[in-house]
Amino acid sequence: MTTATTDTPMVELKGVKKRFGDLEVLKGIDLKVERGKIVSIIGPSGSGKSTLLRSINNLEEIDEGSILLDGVQVNRPDLKGLAYERHINHIRQNMGMVFQHFNLFPHLSTLENVTLAPRKLKGMDARSARDLGLELLERVGLADKPSAYPNSLSGGQKQRVAIARALAMRPKVMLFDEATSALDPELVEEVNQVMKGLAEEHMTMLIVTHEMAFARDVSDWAMFMDGGVVVEENTPDRLFTNPDQERTCHFLRKHLGNQASAQMPS
Amino acid sequence: MEFNFAPVITYFPTLIKGVGATLLIGLVVALLSIIGGQIVAVITLYTRKAVNWPLRFFIWLFMTTPLLLQLYFLYFGLGQWVLIPAVAVGVLGLGFHYMAYNADIFLATIKSVSKGQYEASRSLGFGHVATLFHIILPQAFYRAIPQLGNNMIIMVKDISVLSAIGIAELVYLSQYAISVTFRPFEFYITIAVIYYFINILMESGQSWVERRAAARR
Amino acid sequence: MELMDINLMMEITPLLIKAAWITIDISARGLFFGFFIASALVAMRSSRFFPIRSLARAYVSVVRGTPYFVQLLLVFYGGPAIGLRLDPFTCGVVVGAFNIGAYMSEAIRGAIESVDSGQNEASRSLGFGRFATLQHIILPQSAGLMIRSIGVLAIILVKNSSLVSIISVVELTYQAQRLIGSTYKPLEVFTLSALMYIVIIYAVMGLVEFLYRRATRYTYL
Repeated sequence: MTTATTDTPMVELKGVKKRFGDLEVLKGIDLKVERGKIVSIIGPSGSGKSTLLRSINNLEEIDEGSILLDGVQVNRPDLKGLAYERHINHIRQNMGMVFQHFNLFPHLSTLENVTLAPRKLKGMDARSARDLGLELLERVGLADKPSAYPNSLSGGQKQRVAIARALAMRPKVMLFDEATSALDPELVEEVNQVMKGLAEEHMTMLIVTHEMAFARDVSDWAMFMDGGVVVEENTPDRLFTNPDQERTCHFLRKHLGNQASAQMPS
Repeated sequence: MEFNFAPVITYFPTLIKGVGATLLIGLVVALLSIIGGQIVAVITLYTRKAVNWPLRFFIWLFMTTPLLLQLYFLYFGLGQWVLIPAVAVGVLGLGFHYMAYNADIFLATIKSVSKGQYEASRSLGFGHVATLFHIILPQAFYRAIPQLGNNMIIMVKDISVLSAIGIAELVYLSQYAISVTFRPFEFYITIAVIYYFINILMESGQSWVERRAAARR
Repeated sequence: MELMDINLMMEITPLLIKAAWITIDISARGLFFGFFIASALVAMRSSRFFPIRSLARAYVSVVRGTPYFVQLLLVFYGGPAIGLRLDPFTCGVVVGAFNIGAYMSEAIRGAIESVDSGQNEASRSLGFGRFATLQHIILPQSAGLMIRSIGVLAIILVKNSSLVSIISVVELTYQAQRLIGSTYKPLEVFTLSALMYIVIIYAVMGLVEFLYRRATRYTYL
């Protein structure tokens, strides 16, 4: 990877378009995440926000535009076959992705879940991998569960292991795809705490979420997406309390209910 | 190597006759094994141990031993005690074999329908026997259709094994033609193609029946 | 008159045991080679190239759509016409392997596809390639189901092996038929040979259950 200067955005999207058959789900998205910053994306389901995040990780291949990670192009229509595979695998090692449904590996213990990638992909020896794994489990508050298997964990614990797993590759950016949407309400907070911890350490993060209060609290920049376009973006204080667009206003009012309207001076 | 399919053309009427015999045997065995399987399953589920234990044993025995061994046993065994034509041995052997497999399916579907449906029916005032015949068995039958279809598709392929005990179906009649023309490759390829064609027909028939039955499950 | 001739049964038991070994031998070899054929077919089915995918699909369809018995006769009696001369035992192994391989490729594919797609995504997002994902994530999770389906096929293979008696391999069914013909005691011969098939099949089932438990141990840890 090229060494980028500090003012290169960590993640940059230019005119990204994505179609599923006849349906255009991303209609030309521009986005910048500066290093150490946290950007939240909110919007109704079907707005394309998850597809956007998955495109950055190349889990969806975009049709037009370009995606850059730390100055390096992610989508490479010019590469074919094995060369493309190798490029994508290398790029992905620099991104941590956290899924709505955790997707922990059920046949591996929590420690093995965390250490598998550094061991197999970076050739880390067993002892260093174990140290790293235990350190990361401690960071997400699960130091006591290295040999537990995913089936025996609660949803919140699973998601915290999934975050540790993504961190194990020392990613440049963390992508959170509705990380707390599948959790019981009482388990949301423990995951949010871990994410806040990462924010304090200046991890670059891109968060797709339904948790308006959390998004407002933690992020440096907030975007509202609907129908495959970014309708509005602004500082969280401004976007959540005093949006410019009618659609944003409508969404916030409908979606927040009582939870955040209390925070809105309106 | 050179291929000569002319003998196959010459003996085409024989092959047609073989296909006819195969399909006829298939039809009889299908009826025998499905109706018989249903009866065996009902008797097994709703009788005292002294009756159902031997039945369970025979289902198990037919499912754990090879068809050809069963055919040899019936062919030589029955032949010792009663005068019975080979074709009857073949049809009965294949019929019993698949009766066991079908009974095994009916056992499962009847049990699965009985859960819940039995009490609901009795609470409406139906008697035990009326519940069985009007409520349980029809539903169990529709539920069994996909697996019965699979079994019957496998069964038709097994008809070729009957040639081993001298029943004049497709393979046996072709073997006669081969012994005269010395063209085994051409004949067996032709048989394979015919069987593949029958198989495709049966599979599309199966999905047609399943679509129709799905509405009534 | 007694029910069964015990002396005769004692006498023919060694012959049947010897024949049962041939049944086991031919089935085990068929299963072994069949596994490689199945793996090749699975790889072909996930190839990037349409012709390779279609070839594998057509092969599986034809093998499943025609009787094993006809395949056996075609290769044994028809093989020489295309320069393929196999002794009966080898022919039984080869046809058995190619036949069961087609079914097994479907079983393996089914097991692989049973793994939640999120597992693939999580692994790929960490930077694992397609093969590494299969090796570390997908196969360990599909192993249990795979073992059970292959077990079912192994039992079918054992029962199918009786058909090689037609091309005079002296396996269990061949020996049984010969003994029925020479002793005129079908019940005794059938009882013993059926018993041997049952022992073989239950041994396979036991082994499958053992391997299944090992492969799925993580689910109850």
